[in-house]
Amino acid sequence: MKIKEKKFTHLKKWDATLASCIRCGYCFEHCPMFKYTNWESDAPRAKIITAFGLLAGQIKPTPGAAKKLFNCFYCKRCEAACSSGVSLTEIFTDAKKDLLAMGLKGPGTTSITHMNCARCLICIGVCPHEARSNQETGIETDPSKCQSCGICVEACPAGAATIENSFGTSREELTKKAESFLASHSSAKAIVFACNWSYYPELQASQLPKSETKDNAYEILVNMCGGRLEAQLLMAPFLNNAWGVLVACCPEGECQHDGNIKAKKMVANLQNTLKTIEIDPERVQLVEIPAGDKALFQAKIDTFVDKMNTLGPIA
Amino acid sequence: MKSVDEPRLREIVGEKNIKSDPSDLYVYGSDASVHHAIPWVIVKPDTTLQVQKIMEYANQALIPVTPRGGGSGMCGQTVPIHGGIILDMKGMNRILEINMPDVYCRVEPGVVDDDLNLALKQYGVFYPPTPASSRIATIGGEIANNASGVRSVKYGATRDAVLGMKVVMPNGKLVNLGARTRVEASGYQLHKLMIGSEGTLGVVVEATLSFVPIPEFRCMGIANFDSLEDAGQAIGSIMSSGAIPSMLELVDSIAIKAVNKTMNLGLKEVAAALIFEADGMVKEAVDYEINKMKLICEKHHGKDLHSSYDPKERAKIFMGRKKLFPALSKYDDNLSSTSLADDMAVPYSKMAQMAGKIHEVAKKNNIIMTAYGHCGSGCMHTKILMDTRRKDQWQSAQKAIGEIYDYVQSVNGTTSAEHGIGLSKAAAFKTEKADSLWLLQTIKKALDPNNILNPGKLMQAPDDWVTATNLRYSVNS
Ligand SMILES: Cc1cc2nc3c(=O)[nH]c(=O)nc-3n(C[C@H](O)[C@H](O)[C@H](O)COP(=O)(O)OP(=O)(O)OC[C@H]3O[C@@H](n4cnc5c(N)ncnc54)[C@H](O)[C@@H]3O)c2cc1C
Ligand code: SF4
Ligand code: SF4
Ligand code: SF4
Repeated sequence: MKIKEKKFTHLKKWDATLASCIRCGYCFEHCPMFKYTNWESDAPRAKIITAFGLLAGQIKPTPGAAKKLFNCFYCKRCEAACSSGVSLTEIFTDAKKDLLAMGLKGPGTTSITHMNCARCLICIGVCPHEARSNQETGIETDPSKCQSCGICVEACPAGAATIENSFGTSREELTKKAESFLASHSSAKAIVFACNWSYYPELQASQLPKSETKDNAYEILVNMCGGRLEAQLLMAPFLNNAWGVLVACCPEGECQHDGNIKAKKMVANLQNTLKTIEIDPERVQLVEIPAGDKALFQAKIDTFVDKMNTLGPIA
Repeated sequence: MKSVDEPRLREIVGEKNIKSDPSDLYVYGSDASVHHAIPWVIVKPDTTLQVQKIMEYANQALIPVTPRGGGSGMCGQTVPIHGGIILDMKGMNRILEINMPDVYCRVEPGVVDDDLNLALKQYGVFYPPTPASSRIATIGGEIANNASGVRSVKYGATRDAVLGMKVVMPNGKLVNLGARTRVEASGYQLHKLMIGSEGTLGVVVEATLSFVPIPEFRCMGIANFDSLEDAGQAIGSIMSSGAIPSMLELVDSIAIKAVNKTMNLGLKEVAAALIFEADGMVKEAVDYEINKMKLICEKHHGKDLHSSYDPKERAKIFMGRKKLFPALSKYDDNLSSTSLADDMAVPYSKMAQMAGKIHEVAKKNNIIMTAYGHCGSGCMHTKILMDTRRKDQWQSAQKAIGEIYDYVQSVNGTTSAEHGIGLSKAAAFKTEKADSLWLLQTIKKALDPNNILNPGKLMQAPDDWVTATNLRYSVNS
């Protein structure tokens, strides 16, 4: 059980921290990956256990083990919930550095570039974490820097930048979820796209009884960073008779990817477009919610739904 | 030995609900205890029928099955000491019914405690046993461990809130135990047998639980003490006075120091503090209880007494207790906070001595231990802070634990108040229950003749917990 010091040069410094994680599992709570897959092996505690196992030489650095560490949206909710003050994402980043050196690349939730890349270099400019660079081989992402915010995905005009392991946050999946909610709920009116920081889900993975949920007026869908929202995604619910679409993201200066600024611009543009087709622009709104302020979030949703009730369905 | 018919399991639960990559098996080999052992396969059933089929197969192929909820057990209850199948019950996570007229709810075992309480809140009621780990613990795990928490002093443990349940037995047969009514006097109370059985007798697939109204008023108070003895006597006096606290917590000097050292909370460094709470629908009634407890604390030289109804003030009072875990984890870079000798219960009159004994034993064995707990229900918790890399520290810990449980038994206490036995408390448990071990074994044999459900736990666990499994720490030789 001796630690193999040579290989994990970055991870090594977390030796004591990995032992001081009490494995309580409090970090499960709002991890979007766990919430999506309901597999403990996708939860943050599993990543910490994996990092420990790698460092202690108890598990081999296989693609399976590496995947656990490359799958993370860096929302840091695990850190906020941790009972023992463990810096989880810093540990993941260091583990990723070592795994990369061993030739394990993920990509997990980090972004990749497909063949149809036009080398316009837009993605390099928008990446808030300097993870993308122009190499001889093409546009490369450094997976130890990429924080899976998805801003390059939204910005890439060729659709070449993608996050393949999206854990339910891709445009297609979100569109589908919105569609199925609107179709199956008689009182459905609004879709709320919430960034994972402003969004504080009232429920974890447990499911409420059918009688409790069937007349919900709105559905909250987590899209990770607001910076990855696309106009098509926000407009799609209207095709399924939604009355309105609300976007929630972090207040100015508080987004770790500056994605909220992009989201704001996008929503403003959409509102202008709505005006030109004579739809009340207030049917698409953006609200800023500080991380974890669920009372404010609920209040904003209620106000929005009230507003939709006064506007009624789109004629 | 290590052979399991994966295609057959795949057929039962579907491709999506099975995992066997070594990296997944490794993760599922631990819980919140010091133990680690690797299972052969992880299966996550969606339905009762699937659980039945898995058990039928395992029973016939003689493969160990360990049910698992949130994996927050502190004594290795879900660590698969003999390998086999991990039955991840988190896939069955539906709240089936909230029945207000009949005052019960029905849930699947994978429902998380906090989620259930959020759903119940809309009806103005709550499910009270709630352990501190409620944001991860599942109802199935709470039933299997007979979990309880800070409010159990008033509202009881899981055992008091479960009316009935559906259980898949080791042979795959589904049985309905208990009832949906408040009272039941029909025969052996078999559902109660399942409560606290740590997944060794049957797999809970549905539970019928009672709930109670959320009180209108909550008031919390605190009292500091210059000696543990005074605090201990105050606990005994409060509980024997007929006062009805909804919470009565003890934190010792080491806990207070740890919180101050790591969080800078500036708490007064006294020998002990008692945090007490009363709740109810009528403010005068709550006032009455709080004043009664305050007076008793004063009588036993309690100082700096104050109390508040304000949620923010209450949070402040509770802060020291709440921040205890992170404080212990960060206490010293070279020490880890381990879940060992983690809980016990002693008679009220022995609370103070118990805490004193913990300090004495820790000092003698060169480790750090703190005493805290839900003293209103006689429950005492501790953690062992030690350098987990050093082999000799594990030996010291083992010695300390032996001494602590010897003391617990000498004052007619019991090995576990709420965290259960699993692997790491088995030695003390077996000594305590020496005269009825044969009875436990007979029951186990009758219900699980092939010994496939969570084998090697409770009365079957090895006496030496250090060598029972791999430890989840890196220990230098
Ligand atoms: C930080 C922390 C604080 C804690 N505080 C408390 C506390 O205040 N009070 C308290 O009582 N406990 C506490 N615990 C211990 C633990 O959280 C509880 O015992 C809890 O009930 C375990 O639930 P779980 O879902 O995590 O079960 P697991 O740990 O997954 O399993 C525990 C046992 O239940 C069995 N089991 C699980 N599901 C089923 C099922 N469906 N059918 C049959 N058997 C099943 C397992 O086989 C195992 O033996 C704490 C733990 C931690 C880490
Ligand atoms: S940072 Fe977010 S996505 Fe990553 S492990 Fe923590 S909670 Fe999960
Ligand atoms: S919450 Fe913190 S201490 Fe608990 S398992 Fe997660 S990382 Fe470890
Ligand atoms: S923009 Fe975001 S997702 Fe894209 S490479 Fe940069 S950090 Fe990763």
